[in-house]
Amino acid sequence: MSTTTAPSGLALTRVYHFSAGHRLANPALSDEENARLYDACARPHGHNYYVEVTVAGAVDPRTGMLIDVGRVDEVVQQAVLGRVDHRTLESVPELAGVITTGESLARAFWRILAPALPPGVLRRVAVVETAKNRFAYEEGS
Amino acid sequence: MSGLAYSTRRFTFAAGHRYWVEEWSVAENGRIFGRLTVPHGHNYTLDVTIGGSIDERTGMVIDLSELKRIVSETVVERFDHADLNADPLFRTQVPTTENLAIAIWELLAPKLGPDRLQRVRVWEDPTLYVDYDGP
Repeated sequence: MSTTTAPSGLALTRVYHFSAGHRLANPALSDEENARLYDACARPHGHNYYVEVTVAGAVDPRTGMLIDVGRVDEVVQQAVLGRVDHRTLESVPELAGVITTGESLARAFWRILAPALPPGVLRRVAVVETAKNRFAYEEGS
Repeated sequence: MSGLAYSTRRFTFAAGHRYWVEEWSVAENGRIFGRLTVPHGHNYTLDVTIGGSIDERTGMVIDLSELKRIVSETVVERFDHADLNADPLFRTQVPTTENLAIAIWELLAPKLGPDRLQRVRVWEDPTLYVDYDGP
């Protein structure tokens, strides 16, 4: 077992949950234009969201861990879940200016989480809006 | 034009483990691993993905019953209702989900072929999984 070497293809994903209200609207557009563009999504509604945070890297041969999952949990709880759970996403200061589509949320969460986690470990942020809609965001390192 | 296809089969096994390094003091183990030092267990889910070109005769990438037999004999029978810390594979390393994913890859790669084996995904529970795509 050559597991003390740095495996290249190792990634750990943690699945989190929050519930929030939102509506899709570009503030630069009229209500009529937003209704035409976003249809039903322009009306205030909400979702049970899942957020998948993927970190990648090598296993620390001493601990067997790629990362301290408890620390990831703390960061995600503090920086994301605590800000958005049971809130209206448009009123969350950290999401100011974000049209709260799944892909834009994934990118916004990436931008919040990347600097809050150890450098270079964040691989992917996925937002699961409903069982039918899933969005992921990655940036090159 | 010959694309690649991927087939994934899911397996489950239940196993016990604890995070513990023999060389460390009780206090050090507690500081690093917290409550994971207490023996506990999980219902693990294992997704094994095979990739390759489709055999035009059979229409298959791999015979899933062959995959089932290999993974069952090599992994599931070994780890199901087992104490992972007692397995020789984890005598010198902690049976974290990360190390378990790597160990399962290394058990399967020689039997399935490292070129065919695309990914091992180990779910410790519905909120945490580790992917290993090989070295």
